[in-house]
Amino acid sequence: MAQNMLLEMHHVSKTFPGVKALQDIQLEIQHGEIHALIGENGAGKSTLIKILSGVYQPDEGAEIFIDGELQKDITPLGSLKHGIAVIYQDFSLFPNLTVAENIAMVSRIGRKTKIINWKETHNIAKNALAKLELELPLGTTLSELSVAKQQLVAIARAFVNDVKLIVMDEPTSALSRGEVESLFSIIRNLKERGISILFISHKLDELFAISDRFTILRDGKYIGTFGEEELDDDRLISLMVGRRIEYKIFDKRTLNDPLFEVHNLNKAGNFKDISFTLNRGEILGITGLVGAGRSELAQAIFGLSPSDTGEILLDGEPLHIESPEQSVAHGISYIPENRLTEGLVLKKSMTDNICLTVLNKISNNRGLIGKEAQHELVDTWIHDLNIKPNLPNMIASKLSGGNQQRIVLSKWLATEPKILIVDEPTNGIDIGAKADIHQLLRDLSEQGMSIIVISSELPEILAIADRVLVMRRGRIAATLDGKNLTQEEIMKEAL
Amino acid sequence: MEQNTQQTVENEKKGLRKLFGKFHLETKELVLLWIFLGIFILMSIISPGRFLSVYNLQSMAYQFPEFGILALSMMVIIVTGGINLSITYSATLASILGAVVMVSMNKAGAPELASVLVGVFIIIVASLVTGAVNGLIVAHIGIVPMLATLGTMTLFEGISLNITKGGAISGFPNMFQWFGNSSIIGIPVPLFIFVLVIIATYFILQRSTFGAKVYMIGCNPTATRFSGINVKKTLFLLYVYSGLLTGLAGLVMASRYNSAKESYGYTYLLQSVSAAVLGGTDISGGFGKVFGTVISVLILQVISSGLNIFGVNRFITDVIMGMILILVLTINFINNKREEKALVTKKIVTA
Amino acid sequence: MNRILTTIRKSKEMNILLVLIVISIIISIFNGSFLTMGNLLDVVKSNIVLAIMSMGMLLVLLTGGIDVSIASVISAVTVVVGQFMVHVSSNIVLVFIVGVLAGSLMGLINGLLIAKLKIPPIVATLGTMSIIFGVVLYLTNGTWITGIPQNFIDFGRVTIGKFNVAGSDQPTGIPIQFLFLVLAAALTWFILKYTVIGRGIYAIGGNKESAERIGINSDNLTLFVYVYEGFLIGLAGVVHTSIMRQVDPNAFIGFELQVIAAVVLGGASVLGGYGSVFGTLVGVSLFCVINNGLILMHIPVYWQKIVVGVVLITSISVDVIQKRMQEKKNVRVDIDENIQRFARTSVSKEVKTQA
Repeated sequence: MAQNMLLEMHHVSKTFPGVKALQDIQLEIQHGEIHALIGENGAGKSTLIKILSGVYQPDEGAEIFIDGELQKDITPLGSLKHGIAVIYQDFSLFPNLTVAENIAMVSRIGRKTKIINWKETHNIAKNALAKLELELPLGTTLSELSVAKQQLVAIARAFVNDVKLIVMDEPTSALSRGEVESLFSIIRNLKERGISILFISHKLDELFAISDRFTILRDGKYIGTFGEEELDDDRLISLMVGRRIEYKIFDKRTLNDPLFEVHNLNKAGNFKDISFTLNRGEILGITGLVGAGRSELAQAIFGLSPSDTGEILLDGEPLHIESPEQSVAHGISYIPENRLTEGLVLKKSMTDNICLTVLNKISNNRGLIGKEAQHELVDTWIHDLNIKPNLPNMIASKLSGGNQQRIVLSKWLATEPKILIVDEPTNGIDIGAKADIHQLLRDLSEQGMSIIVISSELPEILAIADRVLVMRRGRIAATLDGKNLTQEEIMKEAL
Repeated sequence: MEQNTQQTVENEKKGLRKLFGKFHLETKELVLLWIFLGIFILMSIISPGRFLSVYNLQSMAYQFPEFGILALSMMVIIVTGGINLSITYSATLASILGAVVMVSMNKAGAPELASVLVGVFIIIVASLVTGAVNGLIVAHIGIVPMLATLGTMTLFEGISLNITKGGAISGFPNMFQWFGNSSIIGIPVPLFIFVLVIIATYFILQRSTFGAKVYMIGCNPTATRFSGINVKKTLFLLYVYSGLLTGLAGLVMASRYNSAKESYGYTYLLQSVSAAVLGGTDISGGFGKVFGTVISVLILQVISSGLNIFGVNRFITDVIMGMILILVLTINFINNKREEKALVTKKIVTA
Repeated sequence: MNRILTTIRKSKEMNILLVLIVISIIISIFNGSFLTMGNLLDVVKSNIVLAIMSMGMLLVLLTGGIDVSIASVISAVTVVVGQFMVHVSSNIVLVFIVGVLAGSLMGLINGLLIAKLKIPPIVATLGTMSIIFGVVLYLTNGTWITGIPQNFIDFGRVTIGKFNVAGSDQPTGIPIQFLFLVLAAALTWFILKYTVIGRGIYAIGGNKESAERIGINSDNLTLFVYVYEGFLIGLAGVVHTSIMRQVDPNAFIGFELQVIAAVVLGGASVLGGYGSVFGTLVGVSLFCVINNGLILMHIPVYWQKIVVGVVLITSISVDVIQKRMQEKKNVRVDIDENIQRFARTSVSKEVKTQA
C-alpha cells in the first residue's frame, strides 16, 4: 500500500499566533489520482497546501513522505524538485513579466548558473505548453492576458519540472463555464499520464464530476478520506459542516407594490438590457454563474461604476446616481461580496467600522463626533445583531467571518436604507451564522425593507428569495417565482 | 502632613490622568511624554544655568512653532498613507507672494496695517492654492502622493526662484514682525499660533467626522469608498488643509527672519517626517495622533537646543536625530516580533 | 511591420523617446548651437554623475523601494576619496576601489535596515541621510577639499578620440568619464536582463508574495539592490571628483530628488516592477536636454525648476489617465450578443411562467 503512495502526510499540525490552524492532519495521495481536499472556509486547506509547498513549516512531529521517502524541512524549492507544483488561487504569477518568463521562472531558481539564456527560457516555456497541447503568445506581458489564460500559464509552469503532483487551489473560481470544461479535460488528460491532482474547490458538482477520492477537513481537524462511491452531496456536506445543512425555507410572498424599477440598463462589457422591478418588502434573489454580471449590475446601481444608459426609478421618480454617496442619500445600501477588502476596514475597530456610514448621525452640527451617541449606536447594533465578543474596540480583523459580516450589516442597516443589496451575504461564514443572517434579512423585509440578495448558493436563494432573477452572460435570462422553485429550474436558465 | 502631600500627589495624578483621558492620550503618547520630560530634566540637570535659563526657554519657544506647524502639515498627509514633500516650498512660495505685495504696498506708502493685512491674506490664500494643486493631482488625477508632491515641490521652488531671482525679499512694514517676534501676555505669538494649529488639527483629525473618514481612507480607501464616502473630496480637502498649515508656517518664518526666501525651512522637510513617525504615525497610513507628533517635535527641539548649548556641533545633532529615528523603528520591529512570539507561546500553553 | 508599430506605440520608453526628440527639435529650431557636438558633449559631461546614479535608483524603484540618502552617500564618497587622495595615495585604481567600497558599505547599511529590520525604505533612508550628511559636514565643516593630486586631475582630462568642434579652435574628444557611464549602464542592463538576480528583482517588484512562494529570497535581493546602488554611487563619486577636481561636501544637497525625478520620467514605477535601463537613460537625457535647452533659449535659469516640475507631473498624469481609460474598456462580462437566440429562450420562459 505505502509503495503505491505518491504522497503521505501524517500528524501534521500548525500553530499560528493565536490559532491552531491544523491538528494532526493526514493526507495520502496515490499516483495518477484526482484527489479532492474539501472543507469550509477556515478548515485549514490553504494552510495544509502551504506546508506541502514549503511556504510554512509544520509543527514538530509531522511526517511527510514523498514516494515513500521521509522529507525533512520542505522548502519551496525542494517541494518543486520533488515534483510538487502548487497553483494558488491567485496564480502567483508576475503581471509585469512575459508569458515565457512566468513559465520558466521556476527553472532558474536554485540552479548553479546565474546567467539567463533567453533562448532556453523560450524553449522551456514552449515545451511546457506543448506538454499541455496549448499555445500561448510567449512574448506577451502577462497582465495583457485574460484570467483563464493566466491560469493556463500557471498550470504550464507546473510542467517545467518533472511534475508528479499538481495542487490546484480553487482553480475554477474565476472561470466561465466553458473554460471550466476545458480545464477539466486538461486535468483528465494529466491523470491518464499518471500525474496526480489535488483539487480544492467549494463547488460540489465540480468535485463529484472529477474526483476519485475525497479528504475532508473541518476546523483544522482530519475528518476522513472517502472514495467517490462512498459519498453523495448530502453526506459530503454533513461531513464538512458536522451536520446537514437545512436552511429554513421561508414562505414566499407575492407582492405588487413597486418601489424600485430598472429599465434597459446597459454598461459595455458588463451587462446589457437589464430591466426589473423590486417591490416594497420583497426579497429579490439574483443568481447566475460567476461572471454573469451580477456584481457588476449591483455596483452600477450603487454608483460605484455607473451604467452607460438606462433608467432607474425610485418611488416613480427617476434617479441619477453617479456615486455611492448619492445612493446612500437615496436610501440604497450595498454590501459587497468581498468583506475583507471592500466591506470592512480590517485594521480598525468595530466602532469605527459601524460608524463609517452614519458619521452625520453621531455628530453635532459642527461636524464633531459625539462619543455618547457613538457608543449608543454601536451598543445597539452589537446587541441587536448579537455580535460577539461584545467589545466595541476590538479590531475587525480579529473577529470570525460571521461576526465580521454582522458588522458590515450593522453599518449599512444603521443608514436605515429603503433598499438593501447584499452580494453573497453568507460567503465563508459558518452555518449557524448563515441561518441567523437569513432570518435577519427576512425580518427586515417584513418590516418593509426591499432587499436584493445576490448569491451563487442556490439553496440560499431558494430559502429566502420571493422572486429570482437568473442572469446569464450579462443579461437577465429569466424571472422566476420563488414558490416551489427548484435548483434544477434555476440551473437550466443559468447555463 | 506627609499623608496630606501624598494625597495631593495622588490627586494630581488623577487630575493628570483625567486631563490625558480627555485628550485621548494613549500609552504610546504617554511614553513619548515621559521621554520628553526625562530629556528635559536631564538637560536641566546637566546645564541648569544655560538650558533652564529664561533666555533659552524663550528662544526655543520662538523656534519650534514653525517646525511644529510644518510637522503637522506633514503628519495629516501621512495618516492617509501619503507623503507631502512640497510642504517647505509651499510655505516659502506663499510667504514670498505675500512679501512681494506687502513690500510694494509699503513702498507705495500704504498704511502699515493695510499692507500687513493684505500680505497675510495673500499668504493664506496662496497656501490654500498650493494645497489645492496637490489635492487635485493626488485625489483627482490619482498620482502617487510621493511623486505628485515631488513634482509640485520642484514647481513651487521654481516659481519662488522666478520671483526672488535667488535672493531674499525684505523691507516689510515693522508691524509684520509681530507674527514672529512678539508675545501676548508672555506667550510668544508663534507659539500661540502653534497652539491654535494643534487644537484645530486635533479637532479636525481626531474628533470630527471628516477626521474619521481620513483615518479610514488611510487604512483602506476601497472599503471607505464602498461605504458611501467621497474619498476624492476628503483627500482634496485634507491637502488644502495641509497647504493652509504650510502658509501659517511660512508666515511665522518670514516674520521671524524678517525676509522671505525659497530655501527657508528646507531642513524641516525630513525632520517633519521624523517627527510624525517618532510620534507614532504609521508611514503606511491609518494611524497616528496629533499629540504624538507634537511631543516628538518638542523632543527633537529639546535635544537639538540642548546639544547646541553643550557646544555639540550642529552636524553631530543631525547624526543623533537620524540615529533616534532608526533606533525607534528598530525597537518597534523587535517589539512586534516579541509580541508575536509571546502570543504563540501563550496560546500553546493554554491549549 | 504592423506589429512592430504597435509595440512601439505601446511601449512607455518609446513615448518618452518621442517626447525627447520633439523637444530636441524645438530647442534646435530656437538655437542652432544645441545640436552641435560641443554642446552635446557638455551636456553629457555635466550629467554623467546623475546618469550613473539613476541606474542604481532604477533598481531600487524596481523593488518598490526608494532611497533619499543617495545625495548624502555621494557626498561622503567624494570626501572619503578626496581625503584618501590628498593624504594616502592617488593611485587611480586604489582611488576607485576606495570610492566603490565606501559607497557599497553605506548601501549595505541601508539594505540591512530595509531588508532585515523591515524599516520602510523612505524612513530608513531618511535616517541614514541625516546621519551620513551629519558626519560628513561635521568632519569637513563644510570646507572644500582642494589640492587633488595632479595625476588624478590628468586622468580626469583624458579624452577618447579627437575631433574639431565648431566655435572652438581646440579639438576635443569624448571625456573618459563617459566610459564609466557606459560601463555602469551596460552592467546594470546585463544584470537586469541576463542574470537570475535581475529577473528576481523584476519578480519581487511585480509580485513579492509569488516570488517568495517559488523560492526567491526577496530579503537577499533587496540587500543586493541597495549594495549595488551604493557601488554605483561610489563610482559616481570618483567620476564626479575627476570632473570637478575638488570636493564640495555641500554640492549634492537636494540631488536625490533630481535623480528620482529623472528615473521616474524614464518610465519607472515607484510601486515597483516596471522600468528599464533604456527608459532611464532616455529619462535622464530628457531631464538634461530640458535644462540645457532652457539655457540655450536664454530662458532665466529659474524657469528650469518650473519646467521640470510641470513635465514630471504631466508625464505621470498622462500615464495614470491612460491606464484608467484602458481599465474602463476592460470587458468584465462576456455578454451574450446573440439576441435572437436569447429572445427565443426568454419567450419560452414567459410562456412557462404564465402557464
